[in-house]
Amino acid sequence: MTSNPTPINLKMLLESQTLKRAPFPVPVGWYFIDYSENLKAGELRNISVFDQEWVLFRSESGDKVGVTDPYCPHLGAHIGHGGKVCGDNVRCPFHHWEYDTDGMCKAIPYAKVMPPITKKQAILRTLPTVEKYGMIWSWFHPLCEAPHWEMPYIPEIEDATGYTGSRRGSWTANTCIQEIAENGVDVAHLKFLHNAPGIPPVSAAYDGNQMRLDIGNGYIVGDMFGPGLNVMRFNQKDPVTEKVITATMISYSVPVTHDTTQMNMSFRHVDYAEGSPELAFTKKQIDHMIGAAEGEESAGFESVDFIVWNNKRYRPNPLLCDGDGPIFPFRNWFKRFYVDADLSKI
Amino acid sequence: MAEIRVTERNGEARTISADSGRPLMEALRDANFNLQGTCGGAMSCGTCHVYIKQDWNDKLPAKSEDEQMMLEAIADLVEVRPTSRLSCQIELSDALSGIEVEIAPEV
Repeated sequence: MTSNPTPINLKMLLESQTLKRAPFPVPVGWYFIDYSENLKAGELRNISVFDQEWVLFRSESGDKVGVTDPYCPHLGAHIGHGGKVCGDNVRCPFHHWEYDTDGMCKAIPYAKVMPPITKKQAILRTLPTVEKYGMIWSWFHPLCEAPHWEMPYIPEIEDATGYTGSRRGSWTANTCIQEIAENGVDVAHLKFLHNAPGIPPVSAAYDGNQMRLDIGNGYIVGDMFGPGLNVMRFNQKDPVTEKVITATMISYSVPVTHDTTQMNMSFRHVDYAEGSPELAFTKKQIDHMIGAAEGEESAGFESVDFIVWNNKRYRPNPLLCDGDGPIFPFRNWFKRFYVDADLSKI
Repeated sequence: MAEIRVTERNGEARTISADSGRPLMEALRDANFNLQGTCGGAMSCGTCHVYIKQDWNDKLPAKSEDEQMMLEAIADLVEVRPTSRLSCQIELSDALSGIEVEIAPEV
């Protein structure tokens, strides 16, 4: 009698063929659209985010910003090609129907009777949009639900005094936000991809739409407010002054498509006196966050993470080992931002 | 088939017949009563407004909220009566054969 050979686990070997780069829809959340200074009063332009085109405009008075679906609910003209801002409204070029920043139809210049639905609700899809942190932010929900949470106060960027820093960065990653953010709990990669001296301890706590991440017992403390905003504070003791100095990375990523992400970051620090050792130290901290700082062995995200993000595929059934971080709790939390928006059900 | 007894805007009477299952608006529009039915049944234009003869009005299903809102919206421009209906919301049937309607004034 011959013994049966051990059957091969084919799933282990072949699942790769069915993997997608980012098998998720655009997640729900508040997202950065642009810096406020980049949209002048009365300006209108087309933008591509959340897997589609939108019309971004600012009222002539300057105090209202709208982000609308491009296609007029009347006869489908693209409002961003030939449309214009009229007062607080955006006007379709085709028949001059006007919409406010909430998508309410405010004028049909030739109709004797406004269609009743125009009194009841918005007829043009718009995204709830606010200006905060000197930026324009829009709330994306695939079924047009109102915002589920407010954006937080961030002293480093909202406190008029005490903080400074004009460094900003913007990068495109060919993957989705979940995959990018997963690196926060994947502490083992810090040693091997970033050449950190060791694998730091990590803890992640989840509360509604928020996640608090602590890497290295307070060395990096990150607060994520939904997929589109992450505030990471790097706390390090300066060996010269013996002080713990905090530098802050405010990260605001936007899903351009379901599997392409525009990553944006602002770097802020305490407004130390020019020429002080604290200022020198905190500037070095920020260099470290972005890329390898001079004289350092380890590497910031810019230099090394992209090669992985841009080429990986999401493994729904990853083979994890001891020493890997708390990846599954992170994935379970992130599921809350995905909404089934099967339009055939509407 | 349903027979429709129509009073035109000029007061003349004309009887037409149309297939059951179609909206009354389409039958009137296609028979050239100068009834527009512009929005195609979305209850957003008010151009298919008719008055239904009382006896027949009692046999029709109740108005939806949207139909009521459209009728209220045109009330500033034309006379709206308790028997006013948007003809796009009335599906013809054999049971409605003989229905008597009057084309309302244009908005």
